[in-house]
Amino acid sequence: MPRYLVKPYMIWGILGVGLLSQINLMLLAKLFSSNYYAKGYPGFVQLFGKNAVRFFTFLGLFPILVKIDVLTLGVGEVVHQYIFPSMNSNWLLLSIFLVCFYVAVQGMEKTIRFVVIVFLSTIWMLIIFCPFFFPPIASLHDLYPLIPHDWSGISWSGLLLVWTSMSGPEMLVYLAPWLSPKQKMLKYLTIANTISTLEYLLLFTAALLFFGSNYLDKTRFPVLDMIRYLQFPAYERIDIVLISLHMFVLVFVNSILMLLFYGAIRILMGKGEEQTTLKGFTASLLIIFVSSLIINQWFWKSGGEQNIWMNLQIGVGAFTYFLVPTFLLVATKLKGCFKA
Amino acid sequence: MTNIKRVVFVFLTIGVVLLTGCSPFFVDNNTVEEIAPVIFWSIQDGKEGRLRISTMVPPLINEKKSLLTKQVDLLKQGRKDFNLIYYRELKLGQLRMVFISEDLARKGILPIIDTLLTDPDISQRLYLVIVKGNFEDYISNQVVKQENLDYFLYRMLKHYDTKNQGEITVTNLHQFMKRLYTPFSNPILPVYKVNKENFVYDGTAFFRDDRLVATISDMNDQILQLLDNDYYLKLLAIPSLMVTLGQIHSKVNIELVPDYSSISIKVKLDGRIEEYRGDKNIFDSDELADLNQEIESYFKKQTTTLLDNMQQWKVDPLQLGTHSLAPFSQPISEEKWLSAWEKMKINVDYQINLQTMKNMNR
Repeated sequence: MPRYLVKPYMIWGILGVGLLSQINLMLLAKLFSSNYYAKGYPGFVQLFGKNAVRFFTFLGLFPILVKIDVLTLGVGEVVHQYIFPSMNSNWLLLSIFLVCFYVAVQGMEKTIRFVVIVFLSTIWMLIIFCPFFFPPIASLHDLYPLIPHDWSGISWSGLLLVWTSMSGPEMLVYLAPWLSPKQKMLKYLTIANTISTLEYLLLFTAALLFFGSNYLDKTRFPVLDMIRYLQFPAYERIDIVLISLHMFVLVFVNSILMLLFYGAIRILMGKGEEQTTLKGFTASLLIIFVSSLIINQWFWKSGGEQNIWMNLQIGVGAFTYFLVPTFLLVATKLKGCFKA
Repeated sequence: MTNIKRVVFVFLTIGVVLLTGCSPFFVDNNTVEEIAPVIFWSIQDGKEGRLRISTMVPPLINEKKSLLTKQVDLLKQGRKDFNLIYYRELKLGQLRMVFISEDLARKGILPIIDTLLTDPDISQRLYLVIVKGNFEDYISNQVVKQENLDYFLYRMLKHYDTKNQGEITVTNLHQFMKRLYTPFSNPILPVYKVNKENFVYDGTAFFRDDRLVATISDMNDQILQLLDNDYYLKLLAIPSLMVTLGQIHSKVNIELVPDYSSISIKVKLDGRIEEYRGDKNIFDSDELADLNQEIESYFKKQTTTLLDNMQQWKVDPLQLGTHSLAPFSQPISEEKWLSAWEKMKINVDYQINLQTMKNMNR
């Protein structure tokens, strides 16, 4: 991500986006307090009516698919380039999908619990970026100037990317039936939001100090290059370990999205109330896998520039994160008005 | 039972994580017996735009070492050609040093560095060194006398790199690139002089963009260490004053006039006199003050000359330009800085605080 921000004053941009995200999360927390969402599918039917829900689900399939594909291909590309350069990338995709499949088959509840493992295995990684804050490579001048001198210098697409990176909590609406309704949602969301904002700030500042903004502009995977620069006496290719650990996050996100995808397909086929089957799940997963293989084989252009799929993912992610909470909140309020 | 399962799981996870690089399926064959990790490359100008690259094999096992040399058009072509003349496959994962000849560096080294950067196997901590003289001669002459020659060279660079020991310039790939792209700073690299017998540190090379424009040595290089690189020297000999100073720490204070017409550099040196062979009685405070005065004016003169030279070479390896930056103001363009730098008036001021050793024999 630091690649797309580049200029030092984008530090303020990250903070600003963090604040905006906080406002959005407040809306989300308000949603959770209304009782439609805790019921799951029946609640949504109650809110919109059956056909409207089907329509929205159909719309929802697209962002989920894009998200899974782009995330997997993006991370897969990194793994391919840094760890297994001589391996066929399709095999890599298959293995990632198999792991996600295994996690997802365990059911929604276990998959959600998997987040603890993910959190514990990745959060400490932030510590290893601390050495970059100290000389000799770092100097304070790399952070100057702290204010932009004209608006054109601000990278709006970079800010959009930060916003997309903050997205994800909107998915919680659809997970509500599995979450305990009595929890103080806003508190946890705020903590999570603060952690993400600080994490991005830390990474970005470290990248600026390490590369300087001009060189950062020319680096393709800055965070990885920083990790590779670290030196440990026992094990040199620390990047391999960290990329592997980072796969936990991918597996978690992918598994949840796969389950959501399957759920959406069931609603679309009008089987929302029935028991889930392994066959159905495998079938819906095959759709995802095949789509990502097709994109990987023919449409994925890896290169220095952001490719069209990345842009699509960023756009869609930003859009859903912005729209879903607002839309649902408005819908709930309107319903409330009509009832009264 | 579940406990055993857990332990097995933990070990499996650790194993999977640590062995990711060694998987035999679909990936590179990295059997240790069949590969030869390369520790250094030496790249010389091979005339007519070609490169002459050489490396030493084998680095690992007990076999007679030899120097491989190839005349190539492209750097990686050299790697391929080495594989064709040597029975093991050369791997670049352990590449630690690249020695670049001076005449090649004068032509520009960015293509070489880009090639090194794109290879994910090559660490960004790769040391870059400029070599004056024929490196091949040195290696082929010394390889008989010193068995682990390549490794020793690496240890030396590493020694001066890790704890900021002072004394010499050490630059790695990343530091070079950062300085190359950051405005208001020019890259520097260490220069080594090499002949049949020796491989000696000679000073520092200044780059403008990716081209070597000048090298400095001896006193000038030591001043550079004090002003910018490490701010520390273990020993500093001034033969013309018959004195050796030791454990010198420097504090540099740089002030830039807002219209960039002049710059003042105030240096505070703290250290001790470790050796004196002149005819002053340095235990007498007046004569010590005289010596101080002499050293100060000597430094002042040397530094001013050095900075004047930098202005003539149009380089700013001390990164003085970064002092024009401030958190809340628009930065000036690099061209503007460079044109200002050429004409800038420089005021150098030294303040030296020396301790004499108590038990010195007079």
